[in-house]
Amino acid sequence: MNKKLYRSLPLAAALALVATAVGAQTFQNFVTVGDSLIAGEESGCVVQRFQRRSWVAITAGQLGLSDFEQPWISEVAATNPLTGYPCLGLVLNGTSLGLAIVSETGQNTNLTLPRPYNNLGFNGSPLMADFVELTVTTPGASDLDNLAGRVLRNCMGCPFQGMSAVDEANLLTPDLVAFWGGNNDVLNAMFAGVAIVGVTITPVDSFTNSTNQVIAGLSASGRTLVSGNIPNIIDIPYATTIPPVVVDPTTMLPVLIGGQLVPLLGPGDDAFPCTPVPPDSGCALPQGSLVMLPASTLLGQGVGIPVAVGGTGQPLPHGTFTPPSTLVAGVVLYPDDITLIESTIVSYNQAIAAALVANGGIPIDSNALFAQVSLNGFDIGGIHLSTAYATGGIFSYDGVHPAPSGYGIVADDFIQLLNTVKGTNIPRPNFSNILFTPNVPEITSAVTVADNGPWHYSLDTWRGLLNAGLARRFAIQMPTVPDAPRVVPHLPPAPRAVRHVERHDFD
Amino acid sequence: MRQRLRVPLPPLVFAVAVIGLLTSTTAYPSGFQVMTQGAKATGMGLAFAGVADDPSAIFYNPAGIGFQDHFSVMGGGAVLGRDSATFVGANPYPGVGDAGKVQNQVFALPNLYMVVPLTADLKFGLGIDAPYGLGLRWDAPEQWSGRFISQNAVIKTTDINPVFSYKLLPELSIAAGADYRFSGLQLERNTAAIDPFTQSEVDVAHTKLYSNLTSNGGWGYNAGIMWKPVPQIGVGASYRSKITVNYDGTATVIQRPTGDQAFDALVAAQVPFGVHPVTTQIVFPASINTGVGISFGGGFTLALEADWTEWSSFKALNINFPDGTLPPIDRATAWNDSWAYRVGLEKTFGAFAIRVGYYYDNTPQPTQDVGPLLSDNDRNVYTAGFGYNTPQWGIDIGGAYIKFKNRQVLTQSTDNFFGIYSETAWAAVADLRISF
Repeated sequence: MNKKLYRSLPLAAALALVATAVGAQTFQNFVTVGDSLIAGEESGCVVQRFQRRSWVAITAGQLGLSDFEQPWISEVAATNPLTGYPCLGLVLNGTSLGLAIVSETGQNTNLTLPRPYNNLGFNGSPLMADFVELTVTTPGASDLDNLAGRVLRNCMGCPFQGMSAVDEANLLTPDLVAFWGGNNDVLNAMFAGVAIVGVTITPVDSFTNSTNQVIAGLSASGRTLVSGNIPNIIDIPYATTIPPVVVDPTTMLPVLIGGQLVPLLGPGDDAFPCTPVPPDSGCALPQGSLVMLPASTLLGQGVGIPVAVGGTGQPLPHGTFTPPSTLVAGVVLYPDDITLIESTIVSYNQAIAAALVANGGIPIDSNALFAQVSLNGFDIGGIHLSTAYATGGIFSYDGVHPAPSGYGIVADDFIQLLNTVKGTNIPRPNFSNILFTPNVPEITSAVTVADNGPWHYSLDTWRGLLNAGLARRFAIQMPTVPDAPRVVPHLPPAPRAVRHVERHDFD
Repeated sequence: MRQRLRVPLPPLVFAVAVIGLLTSTTAYPSGFQVMTQGAKATGMGLAFAGVADDPSAIFYNPAGIGFQDHFSVMGGGAVLGRDSATFVGANPYPGVGDAGKVQNQVFALPNLYMVVPLTADLKFGLGIDAPYGLGLRWDAPEQWSGRFISQNAVIKTTDINPVFSYKLLPELSIAAGADYRFSGLQLERNTAAIDPFTQSEVDVAHTKLYSNLTSNGGWGYNAGIMWKPVPQIGVGASYRSKITVNYDGTATVIQRPTGDQAFDALVAAQVPFGVHPVTTQIVFPASINTGVGISFGGGFTLALEADWTEWSSFKALNINFPDGTLPPIDRATAWNDSWAYRVGLEKTFGAFAIRVGYYYDNTPQPTQDVGPLLSDNDRNVYTAGFGYNTPQWGIDIGGAYIKFKNRQVLTQSTDNFFGIYSETAWAAVADLRISF
């Protein structure tokens, strides 16, 4: 180390202290409330590896807060059968390459913290109403109860029994609150493969009422409240990776017949009724349809592919609902579904904006941020990130939740907004740490097991996707691991039918 | 006078000089303009458009050779180097704690000028010099955080500039000439990609773009005017047109093994490693130099100058791969026109002269464009020199110390690459003149 460097160290240290001090003096008590995007979920689970690199943790670090407490969930080796919630990863087994369960959630390592956690975000697909209404969780009653319960600790006899996330946030008397929720109120339509208000989509009136309660409940004099809005969920890899046309699995190029693309087949819906032409039993998906990731398994079996190009001619399923509470999930969204989802998001975001205005909160336009990233990617220092599945860097292996880089982008956006609106000087995140730190389990005994539980699509889904998406000129052989039964109890449906009939529990 | 026309040109000297120029590595930009093309001018702060009394006038103000009545050959060159050029990173990327350093390369730029009086009023001049150049090679290129933008950037130029000057009046000379510019390029950088196994960035490829100096060129022209209302005062202006050079070259793409064989196999299958054709274009800007030289009693000469360069014509650096195997690289630059203000003073003692000078040079590069490819800034430049000149021969030596202002890129960056650039540099120029 040369003399110049030695001389510069005190200056650098002073600058770092000043930078830290500026952040620390700005906000002393930071609390976050919301769904899995606040909890820091990645690749299907919330564990300490992800929590440390979530956008709220990054923000707390930039604020200089050393006492920002999260419900630290240990990451443990995956067991067969599973005893926790599975975390996905890409693994190489001999010459086989595939997506698999590389670890699972363990215990909450700071369960006895005598105060609420600063990060009160939880996964398990909470709706907007849950942040004020979920005051008592019942262990084992549902995934939501299990996952919310370990964060809120509000079960019968637990330290915060009877308190909602909003209540616990107020108990901490924060000077800065970040809220981001409501995504699941519309995201369930995508997981169910059908958009039906009151079934897979929370009615706007109900959403508005819940939003007003949450925002008003989190507002207080002298407190800065910032809330994200709802991104356009159809821009995420879960919905955009599989094109709605037949693709040659060898070349990965669209199949052309007479110079025309060959649409995949669907069963039709009210707006696009289907009259099949034998030998196909489905009809061409109209332009603008979306095919969800779980369709990859069916496509591998020839479902959704016309007989004329070697398929079965059977349609990919579209979600259906039979009153009073029977929802069968599908894997395609028709243009009318998408229109309803997008118009609902617009209404939701108007409700969030209005609630923030009424309560002096600061809106953060997450919708615009994700739209921008989806359109152009994110370029930094000559590195290009995109929303491409598995190889883009912004989204994690579940195709729904961000990877560390994606969370870094969210944190950066949040900090820049605060600096602009509040005149603070919070240092922006350091993307070198985010981009170049391998995101792999820190445990050494991780094993690969298959996941066939009700909270995720199966390993076959991923196997098919990886074969389709990555095998351009590199033969990918997926391991044939027997499906493992899940031991987490699957309990009777809760009163709200949507939550338990939908198959994919990402938030 | 006509007898002098029969003096044979020393072809060997020319050949050696030309070869030397064509193989030299250029450097030291104002933007990436290089004005140290004469030793006397350098000693006087490059305020030479209104003086222009040696053969380097072909570069500074070709009308100046209208007042030079002897066949003269002047040759020499500049040596330029960096004293220090460093980078300190800032968030969000590459982040606090990151640092970089430019290699302390030394560059040699030969020059050669010849003035041939054809008649008492008509003069021919030939200049060979290197008015633009860039050399920016970052230290530890495989670890340098800016390696995905640039590890090494080189622009070479060599101009061949024949001019004619004619004295319209005993006190007024004009000049015009053609300017052919050879130019070569070299750009190197790494490419990063997400390792799907670790969801983190890794280096997967190294790309070197190369275009030979002698393979590319473009035509331009220059002109000048010089008015000496009295022998003690010279007022001059010169213009140099913009020159567009279209480059053809090669892009060599090499794989960088990551240590993960499965990922490397995926990369190898999808990235077109090998050699590919590449094309690009640079629009070198037009410039106007205006100056005055005033000789006082006692051997003092004061020179003042203001120079304008039309850097706004440098709008983009777009690199294309005609075989379609690689996506084009389009980088907007949005540079501004720039001004430089110069002052120089000479004191003669018979055949001896000492010179000092100063100039302030505004950078054309907007802050958001500053990055590892080129980090320019406003600069204060202090110069000094001395010379010994007789009617038959002369030798001049000039030097410059260049202190750049620190360039802080902390809020907006085209490359999203943030930090502070610091740089100091120097130049030494020597020329030998022989006149007949």
